[in-house]
Amino acid sequence: MKILIAEDDFASRKFMLRFLPKFGECDVTVDGMEAVDAFMMALEANEGYDLVCLDIMMPELDGYQVLKAIRDIEVERGIPEEKRAKVIMTTALNEGRNVTKAFELGCVAYAGKPIDQEKFESVLKKLGLVS
Amino acid sequence: MDDDFLLEEDTQKGKFMTFICGEEYYGIEIRYVQEIICMQKITEVPETPPYVKGLINLRGKIHPVIDVRIRFHKEPREYNDRTCIIVTEVDKIVVGLIVDTIAGVVDIKEEDICPSVSIGKDSTSFIYGIGKIGEEVKLLIDPKKLLSEDVAEQLGNIAQ
Amino acid sequence: MAENYISDSMLDMFLYETGQMIESLENIALEKQNDDGFDEASVNEIFRIMHTIKGSSGVMMYQNITMISHKLEDVFYYLRESKPTNVPHSELIGYMMDVASFITEECDKIKDGREPDGDCTELHGKIDEFLSMIKNDIKKSGSELPAENKYVEPTQFYIAPATNVSSHHFHIVVHYESGTEMANIRAYTMAFNLKDIAEDMYYLPEDIVSNPDTAKDILDDGFKVAIQTMSSEKEVLEIINRCVGIEKIDIKEVDESDFANLAGVKEEKTTLQYGGLVIDLDGPIPDSNNETAKAPEKEALTVQKTQPVNPLGDEKLEGKATDKLAELADKGKEKKAAEKPKGEKREVQRYISVNVNKMDELMDMIGELVISQAFVLQNPDLKIPGLDLTNFNKAAGQMSKITSDLQEIIMSMRMMPLANTFQKMNKIVFDVSRKLGKDIDLKIIGEETEMDKNIIEHISDPLMHLIRNAVDHGIESKADRLRAGKPEKGLIRLEAKNEGGKVWIIVKDDGAGMVKEKLIAKAKKQGLLNNRNEKDMTDKEIFNLVTLPGFSTNETVTEYSGRGVGMDVVVQNLTSVGGSLDIESEEGKGTTFTMKIPLTLAIVDGIVVSVGESKFVAATGNIQEFICVTNDMVIKEPDGGQGIMIRGECYPLIRLKEYFKLKDGIDDIEKGVLMIVEHEGRKAGLFIDKIYGEQEIVVKPLPPYINKVKGVSSCTQLGDGSISLIIDIAGIMKGA
Repeated sequence: MKILIAEDDFASRKFMLRFLPKFGECDVTVDGMEAVDAFMMALEANEGYDLVCLDIMMPELDGYQVLKAIRDIEVERGIPEEKRAKVIMTTALNEGRNVTKAFELGCVAYAGKPIDQEKFESVLKKLGLVS
Repeated sequence: MDDDFLLEEDTQKGKFMTFICGEEYYGIEIRYVQEIICMQKITEVPETPPYVKGLINLRGKIHPVIDVRIRFHKEPREYNDRTCIIVTEVDKIVVGLIVDTIAGVVDIKEEDICPSVSIGKDSTSFIYGIGKIGEEVKLLIDPKKLLSEDVAEQLGNIAQ
Repeated sequence: MAENYISDSMLDMFLYETGQMIESLENIALEKQNDDGFDEASVNEIFRIMHTIKGSSGVMMYQNITMISHKLEDVFYYLRESKPTNVPHSELIGYMMDVASFITEECDKIKDGREPDGDCTELHGKIDEFLSMIKNDIKKSGSELPAENKYVEPTQFYIAPATNVSSHHFHIVVHYESGTEMANIRAYTMAFNLKDIAEDMYYLPEDIVSNPDTAKDILDDGFKVAIQTMSSEKEVLEIINRCVGIEKIDIKEVDESDFANLAGVKEEKTTLQYGGLVIDLDGPIPDSNNETAKAPEKEALTVQKTQPVNPLGDEKLEGKATDKLAELADKGKEKKAAEKPKGEKREVQRYISVNVNKMDELMDMIGELVISQAFVLQNPDLKIPGLDLTNFNKAAGQMSKITSDLQEIIMSMRMMPLANTFQKMNKIVFDVSRKLGKDIDLKIIGEETEMDKNIIEHISDPLMHLIRNAVDHGIESKADRLRAGKPEKGLIRLEAKNEGGKVWIIVKDDGAGMVKEKLIAKAKKQGLLNNRNEKDMTDKEIFNLVTLPGFSTNETVTEYSGRGVGMDVVVQNLTSVGGSLDIESEEGKGTTFTMKIPLTLAIVDGIVVSVGESKFVAATGNIQEFICVTNDMVIKEPDGGQGIMIRGECYPLIRLKEYFKLKDGIDDIEKGVLMIVEHEGRKAGLFIDKIYGEQEIVVKPLPPYINKVKGVSSCTQLGDGSISLIIDIAGIMKGA
């Protein structure tokens, strides 16, 4: 599995990098713009990401914008729904309306920080990303 | 909110509201003091100890007032325009203390407070310490005792 | 407190909604428990409730809740699709209640910040069995089973933040060596470095980059940083020490709640309240915000509101979010607004929470308003002859109307129907009787009776106890009932009504009643009789024995009552709100407990009277008449008591001046007025000086410090702002 982590916050990034590599190969970007670039590059190289972890509050583009961009790119390229990247939003903004917004944009999960590793993992399982 | 409170707590430390009752100066820690009001119309409540003068209406809230003079077993005195009510709050209970006159707020450092020597056993028990400011001496009142003993006393009355 | 753990609105929303739905589920179950089956609307409703809970718990990843709600949903799916006729109804009700209890328990765990780890496999299995039975029946009856109600995993999840990962909160003050140049820039460099490990951070002064003058402040007072981080103190210090020119570092770990209070670190006065520049927007919202937002909820008073208000606040956006969650779970079902189920087509009540203190304040303010209005309208300046007050009076009339409306509204805001409290009793009767193997009907009357919310809170525990008692001790076992020639099904009547300025809540059972001799024997054994001669005791006194601490008539202590604590606590709770408990019982017929509770905060019509300088108020409801009497009507009894003969009847005479030991007042009975008061059928004459007039009064409790005064129930504020004591007529009559 290929994982893209977009996270500007050092501590969170460190945390994700400690936790996620056991599931797959992780790329890390520190802002939203970079994340979109990375996503495009991966698609170009024909090895798109399976999982994208997006922080919501990021410089340049925020998580929502990145998510939307990713979906737009996928639609444009005619990638069928089941093959699209699974996106998990990670953020400390637990306001209900943020969650709703993220869900509407088509993320598969919304993880509040600090991230509950166990639950995170069980979501990955439910999504069929890990077994 | 929290920090305001803490700040306040800090600035309140070592500050005492002092007042005169008879000959002596008394002090009460300022954190217990809600406000000072001038004498009000007091509604007497029957069958309460003599020092409980009755009830006052403070902006729609009803609070009991006690006469500190009588509480300290001093001769009662006519109230005049210098008589004040110190509205105190201790453990959520608001009580007004009628005192002869207010003597202002003073700082008393901790090292200047010596514990009270128990002379008598009754009235002095409200005094937990004696604060010195230069040559002056203030008797420091523990309002908790001032009130809670009353409550005990009253409960005793009811039980009789 | 729960708010320490949950600062997460998704969780709040889930808990709130699930709570609401479970409540509806219970209500439907209880309402229909005596029917033969569920009607179609109920089936749909229950199906929808379980479906929604299943969906939202799936999103929240509470597996066990999802599992059990799916199972129950499944049952109702078949009920809905195939409409089988011979479903064991009471068994199903039982399962519904079990599921409701299970989910409530799990939600409580979540509220407390624990994992909802309850095991539902047993219950799940039972319901599964139940379901297969229904399915078999459906097949047997020849109809085809509908397509399986398959569980579809939600496609989106919410991962609640971990609660066990603790970040540290530090307050740091860094002092630079005097003479350090550009201390502000150094400070910023340090802050910049710290940012890497920070989850949240503030510093003071805040404008260090843009304002070079801050360099001096930093040198004088030090540079203050509040940082929230997963790193240890050592790691933080390491980063700080990378910077040069530092003379001294003070670092201390603080509580989360103090975190935002960076200003508190400052020794001297500062204009900054707290906070400063938020560097890391990604961190949690400053705690102080949370604190202020959450604190008032502690003692929140639920206020009725007629307009639909979103349960989580009236912000439109939030509303949408709520919708969405339900929608997610409920893939395009009916609209949210139309759903909130409450039994049959009962008017849906919606609430917002308001801090009780604010309500009290508002109430006091309105009281003040009324009084100052009286000041204005009856101002002596207006009495100057020859003034044309036409316009003034018009305006004054309008204002009076508004203020009295205001007063009425604030009163009604505090008043809530007893319905919710009574409904809870349904569940208790159901649970307890089921476990005791009794069959009991609870009949509820007058649940629309309104009471002050505060008082309702005080009486719900006593009421629960009375109900449990009635189920446990009151109603006999089925066999005993049949033997006594009674119907097998016991009946408990729970009734509320307004009676003479009080609310009476009556719990009446048709059980075995209490045996006086047994009570007395028991009390003797427990040493509770205090040398009293049992012959002198009235029935009332004998029944009241059960309210003595340490009295329990039940030989065997059961789970539900009979621990010997209880009835005394009931009475205690009642007296704390000025209520009382009456007990009546007839052997073989049943027992009636009557709680009489004042409507305290309601406005009471009172008559202001005076004795000497003091003014008192008596509730108009208790007053029969005022009459002037002559000396020859007074009867002096040998023991010093006095009576008064009026129209051939003799009433006890109580002189308020003497009763209250007042200094002044009229002694001559012919110069004053006699007020005939009545309480529970007894009458007495209270002698007073003068009548002042009638007034609506707002009853206020005596301040706790004054405690209880004989003959005074509470106090009130008169039109001129002075305080008047309210005569406790019942109390005075007791002594007479």
